[in-house]
Amino acid sequence: MQLSDEKIKELEEMAYQIRRLSLEMITCGKWGHPGGSFSVAEILSVLYFHFLRVNPKIPDWPERDRFVYSKAHASPALYATLALKGFFPIEDLYTYCQFGGLDGHTDMKRTKGLETSGGSLGMGLSIGVSMALGLRKKELTQTRVYCLIGDGESTAGNIWEATMSAGHYHLDNLTTILDYNRLMAKGYIWEEMGIEPLREKWVAFNWDVTEVDGHDIPSFTDAIYNAKWVMPRGRPILIIAKTVKGKGLEEIEFNPKWHADHPNPEKADQMLRLLAQRYGKPEKGYSRLNQ
Amino acid sequence: MTEHKNNFQMRDIMGLEITELAVNHPDVLLIDADLHTSTRMTPFKERFPDRFIQVGIAEQNQFGIAAGLASVGFAPFPVTFACFVARKAIDQFAFSICFPQLNVKVPGTYAGVPTSQSGPSHNSFEDLVFMRAIPNLKIADPGDPADLRAVIRTAYETPGPTYFRSIRSALPDIFPADHTFEWGKGVKLREGSDVTLFATGMMTSRCIKAADLLLKDGIYAEVVHLASVKPIDKTLIVESAQRTGCAVTSENGSVLGGFGSAVAEVLAEHYPIPLKRIGVQDMWIQAGLEEDLLIYYRMQPKDITMAARAVLSMKKK
Repeated sequence: MQLSDEKIKELEEMAYQIRRLSLEMITCGKWGHPGGSFSVAEILSVLYFHFLRVNPKIPDWPERDRFVYSKAHASPALYATLALKGFFPIEDLYTYCQFGGLDGHTDMKRTKGLETSGGSLGMGLSIGVSMALGLRKKELTQTRVYCLIGDGESTAGNIWEATMSAGHYHLDNLTTILDYNRLMAKGYIWEEMGIEPLREKWVAFNWDVTEVDGHDIPSFTDAIYNAKWVMPRGRPILIIAKTVKGKGLEEIEFNPKWHADHPNPEKADQMLRLLAQRYGKPEKGYSRLNQ
Repeated sequence: MTEHKNNFQMRDIMGLEITELAVNHPDVLLIDADLHTSTRMTPFKERFPDRFIQVGIAEQNQFGIAAGLASVGFAPFPVTFACFVARKAIDQFAFSICFPQLNVKVPGTYAGVPTSQSGPSHNSFEDLVFMRAIPNLKIADPGDPADLRAVIRTAYETPGPTYFRSIRSALPDIFPADHTFEWGKGVKLREGSDVTLFATGMMTSRCIKAADLLLKDGIYAEVVHLASVKPIDKTLIVESAQRTGCAVTSENGSVLGGFGSAVAEVLAEHYPIPLKRIGVQDMWIQAGLEEDLLIYYRMQPKDITMAARAVLSMKKK
């Protein structure tokens, strides 16, 4: 799918904003998961600002696409995306992890735009599977379900129960994206629990699988477009998005220390400045925290 | 109370009632984890094959699937044994369903002691204990066939998650066919002045028998049936305690944190009186015939009368 240069720029800008806002939220909340938030920035940008049929003005529209965010510890990235999309004011992001504010993990009852609650890993794909099953029963043929899972939670048994059932029920209205950033909470995935060969596993469970660079906006767009329009019907689709945990800031990239950590305000300021530089942003306005 | 030799087993009543409910309610879906012949959900499968979803022996997926179906507008019934709801799928049930208050109706079948001869892996003594601690969840343990039918209908009509447990075998009739059930409301089945027998589920009919035995010795026992375990009828519990001054609770499950504990919490905070709890006393449930097990775990009417005499003697003279 050919994207205009303008569109690519817009999606890159959104990915930058998702990273910037995530870091600001984590700094304010003094808690959070920067690595996993940064690794999904392009994925969320492409989904929410190019593909998902959702409308912040009518969040309960029955025919909307559903997005299940199974790796909910990376909530800052999704909250930032929802705010940028217009589900709630940007100002709300700065209540992250404050009492009465946005929750550390996701709560669909409290935050507009969320389709699921999350936090206990390994459980989201079952929900995505059954949304796809239920929407098919309702004959909402235009509606698609997207489910974003982590590579770490792919070590959970519930993921594979869900994978098996999606293949069994031929859920071609379900696209799962696996954020393959290769770091778990406490170390490298191949050391903690090997999940390879991933492609062969999912194919064996009757899914169609594509692999793509999860930070390359045109490539990832193609993968989602193909899943929606091009690939043969009758099977659910997995997109293995090869990503870098912490992508965007050299210091936190592929660095287990930054799975769950927060910078102090001085450090955050320095990081936000570097992030802005990397995206070619002007010196002014790189952070709201110093305003 | 009538003899129950000719009654359907409670599992049959559960299967037939959910099937009946589905006739007029197209949002009702049934999710099975390879147990539908045991849980007696086969009538549903045969009548509504398109609304019967098989997930295999995968209870975590079963409850996750229920969550997603509820969130797109269905009223799913994930049906499995109570022990598997409590032990295998508790995170999915608590977090994916109860936390976001999704409209999922959960039967706990084969509850408690009378579970064929399966033994500890299949006998659920802890389901009430675990479920009681989950916010947003309403819990019922009906006492007879009419009560079970009423509970299922009310559980369906109540928005949000509900859990209702039932035993495998038959129970005698206590209530008339037009019996209704209301959350948080107990039923006084027999007036008494000496001791209250608080009961839930299958133990209610045993408490009626115990009250008959006590009456022979001139002891007037009040029998209170509390099918709604959560919310529980605090008013009725306190009123009865004020009248009789001592009580026995009886449940088909662990006394640690279950129904007896729920009654004890109300009494301790509002009207402390001598109390004893009949039920499984911090033990696994062995395999065995139903009546042998009920003797072993001291859940016979005679055991209830002994507890009643004990609390009577503890009452202030």
